[in-house]
Formats: sequence, C-alpha cells, structure tokens
Amino acid sequence: MKLSDRDLALLDGAEGGAARQAMAALVQLGEAYDAPDMVDIGYAHVHAGMALYKGDVELIEATADQGARMVVPVSTNIANADMGNWQATGAPESLGLLQKRAEVAHRLMGSATSFTCTPYWAGHWPTWNMHIASIESGVTVFANSVLGARSNRDGFFAVYAGMTGRYPRFGLHLDRNRQPTHRVTVTARPRGTADFTALGYVIGTAVGSGVPLIRGLQARPSPDELDALGVGMATSGGVAMFVVPGVTPPYPDEADAPGLPEAEVGEADIAGVFDAFCTGAETGFDLVHLGCPHASFEEMKHYAALLSGRRVAPGVELWVTTSRAVRRMAQDAGLIAPMVAAGARVVSDTCPISCHFACSCSPDPKLGVVPPRLRTIVVDSAKQAHYVRDMIQCPTLFTTSELAVETAVTGQFQPRRRHNG
Amino acid sequence: MAEASWQARGVVKGQATGAAMISRTALSFLGDLDIRSGKVVGRSSDLLGDCVAGRVLVLPASRGSAGAWRFLYQLKVHGTHPAALILKELPDPSVTQGAILAGVPIVVEPAAAFWDELTNGDIVQVDGDSGCITRR
Repeated sequence: MKLSDRDLALLDGAEGGAARQAMAALVQLGEAYDAPDMVDIGYAHVHAGMALYKGDVELIEATADQGARMVVPVSTNIANADMGNWQATGAPESLGLLQKRAEVAHRLMGSATSFTCTPYWAGHWPTWNMHIASIESGVTVFANSVLGARSNRDGFFAVYAGMTGRYPRFGLHLDRNRQPTHRVTVTARPRGTADFTALGYVIGTAVGSGVPLIRGLQARPSPDELDALGVGMATSGGVAMFVVPGVTPPYPDEADAPGLPEAEVGEADIAGVFDAFCTGAETGFDLVHLGCPHASFEEMKHYAALLSGRRVAPGVELWVTTSRAVRRMAQDAGLIAPMVAAGARVVSDTCPISCHFACSCSPDPKLGVVPPRLRTIVVDSAKQAHYVRDMIQCPTLFTTSELAVETAVTGQFQPRRRHNG
Repeated sequence: MAEASWQARGVVKGQATGAAMISRTALSFLGDLDIRSGKVVGRSSDLLGDCVAGRVLVLPASRGSAGAWRFLYQLKVHGTHPAALILKELPDPSVTQGAILAGVPIVVEPAAAFWDELTNGDIVQVDGDSGCITRR
C-alpha cells in the first residue's frame, strides 16, 4: 500500500500516540481490502460511544484522553439516552450521566455533538465526490446515493478517519464499485416516507449488498423520501448505494442497466412489508413513534400540522424523535408547542430502539438498566419496525405517519390502506 | 491428530490458538451471538446453543451488518470472544474493524485441503500476520 509522507509521519507518531494508533489501524484495514493507497476524507460521521454497551463510552473517553483531535468536520451518531432530558423517557440517572461523559469526550476531540442518525438534516452535508467515513449505514446510503459523496459502511474506524483525515481507497471509494449490479423496476406508487422505507426494505431483501438501479418512480422523490428509501434497503440488506437516474450523481435521467439481474416491486410487495410488521394487537399498544430516521425540519412541520389541535388518547405515549439541531430549528419555528400541547413527547439524541428499551444490549450491570415491558409499538418506518423486533423484541404495528398520528389520537390502530390511489 | 498446516490470507494481524469450531452456515455478529455468554442464539446458524468463547471459529461467511464491529468488540469486553476467525471469504469492513479493535486475528481463503482435513475440536494456531493455520 502506497502511503504519503504525512501517512508515514503519523505512523511515526508525529501527531501523537492516538493518531499513530489510528493510522496503523487504517493501514491494516487497507491491506485487508487491497487498497492501493489512502484518500483524503472531507467529513466523518462517528460513533457516539454508547452507554448501553459496557466499556463503550470508556472507549471514546480513552481515545480523547490519548489526545485524539478531529482534523475534518465530524458529526456524532445516535446515542442511548436523551442527554437533555433522559428522565422523560424513564431512563435511569446512571445511564443518562454515563452517556453525557461521551458528550464531554466528543467536545474535547472537536466533534459536533449531533447525536443523530440524520446528521445531514442537522447541517453536515457532504458533497459530490467527497470521500467520507460513516458509522451509520443510513448516512452511508444517503451520502452515496443522494449527495454523490463516497462512503463505505464503516464501524468504529470512522473515528480514526476523522482523527487522521485519511481512509484506505477501497469499496465505494472506487468508481468501479459505484456501478449498478441489479435493475429494479417499481410498479408500485409509494407516497410518503413510511411507504418509501417499505419500498427500500423490499429492494434490500432482493439485492442484498448490491447496488440497485431503480426505475419506474413516477415523480422525483422528496429528500425525506430518498432518505427513507435508503434506510429501508440498508436495514433489510447490506445496501450502501442505490442509483435513481436523474437523482444520484452523476447518473442522468436516461441511465439504465440492461442485462443485469432484474427485480420488480409492486403494490403487493409494499403492502407485504406493512403486513409483516403488524404483529401486535390493534388496541394494546403503549407507544406510537414518529421520526425514524431522526426527523428533518420538513417532517417536524408535517407532524406539527397533523397534531395541531389534537390530543393523544389517554394511556398512549407518542414520541417524535429528531436531532438536537432540528429540534432547535423546530422550536424557533413554533413547531414544538403544538406537538407538546397535543401530548406528544419530543425526544433527541436517541429513539426507541436506541434507548434503554432494547433487550439485546450489554450494559454494565452497575447501571441498573431494566428494559421496560412494552406490549406493542406503533411505527411509521420499516427500519424502526425491523429493529423493534430484533432489539426491543416486542410486537409492532406499522402504518403511515398520518395514520400513526390518527392511531395515537383515537387509541385505535389505523392500518395503511392496501393500495395508494 | 497429525500436525498439519494450511496457507490462508492474513487479514487481521495477531496470533491465537484454540479448538476449532466449524460451521457450515453464515453468522452475523449482530444478533446471532449473545454478548454476555458468547453463545450462538441465531436460529439460522448450525452452531445454535454453542459457545464461541476461546474457540477458533471457522465460517463460510459472516452475514453483513454495519453494527457487527460493536458486537465483536463487546464480546471482547465481556471475555466471550472467539480466539480467532477463519473465513472462506473476506468479511464486511465492519467485521474487520471490530476484529482489529478487539485483537481477534482473521485469516481468509484457506487452501482448499483445509476444508476436508480440519475436524471440529482440532487445536489450531492462527497467525494473522503470515496467514498460516497450524494444527497442533
């Protein structure tokens, strides 16, 4: 692997022990995947340090204490507690305080304390051809497919990339891996983000870790719908990039992929995802959730309009999850007040599957974390539904955002109609 | 058991020795393993119920998940991690990143004879630097 003078200097410890360790790990990664050299990265979305995993916040603290400092713009991924108000979610004090230690470490390293799975809505918006590193698969697929930036599905090493500004050139950093591998024809008419997460979920199941070229969409999806589409396929499959001609840089309107393996997605396939994630009793739900992935400002506007003048039914909890930054924008725009007046809870830094509701985590027993017993969670995202099943391990009811609000207000589950008009 | 060695490709550096645990099914480090006990809980795995702690885990493939690194690292934190991994094919970057962080050596693409000659429970040494697998 060809290393630059600066790479070699970092390996020699010219920028300290933490940077030396980071560069050594990146070199090992590059050698594993036959990377010819390293690229300069323009941005990294990094691990938050998760309080529900033993020793994990300590790992971020140790990195900061060793002198790690970010040399490119860095945002932080979703965390395990709302650091502004963990009490409101019923999280133990011990968990909230431990999670806040990660916030302190990130401030020291110069990371933005975003704590979100949608840093793009919070202002970190990488551009065409920018090499980036990302720990969050949803960020990876949005960056590759909507923004034209270049990212693999990374793990902890996004931290190392942020500290060094370097990353080995392999995977989706290479042009040859940014070509479609499948041709997917959509005959369904998805509308709204819930439908688009379901469409993505079907496509991810069909193509695995391929790069699907998606044709047949009737209109250009909105940014929120593109976001939803990507997270759906990153959840059911290992998709890191999709191509929508005329949307994904640099693919023009007429781009096609004849001769590749074909798949077709019809109305019944999308309805099938909604059906598969309706496993709970239609009256016995505890929680209705909006905002997976973390809501954009536009989605907050939509939720505020849906909730304005309404009132959540007794015995039902309604969560709207978003990033701190978007929450602040929504606050300024007067969008939080009608939600709170309706009885909704606006939660930042985390979400149901990322908080202490999850049973599949491994917190230090000293924290005294006991996941509450939940009967059923109503969701408007196939991603949230998938991980509620696997991590909270309770039933779900999956419907559209609009009908999820109706469900919360009436106390009666409102299923999505099978066919969109 | 006769001493034997096979050449593979070193992916994650380091040396480890342990009893081989051979699977014919792909394993996901996110979801298929219980962190605290190191037991396989994924129903799609033929190792269901077995404990991977301290074993040299031999797999056809790892099923991809971007969160795999965290679970591999958590196994290490809880002392339930496999000693080393031998895979037929190169794993997802997330698995490799977790293994580097956890200090679990990985070798891939071992010579064809390996798959016929290795038996469950054989004590093997894995050298992630040279790529060499040796049966003791």
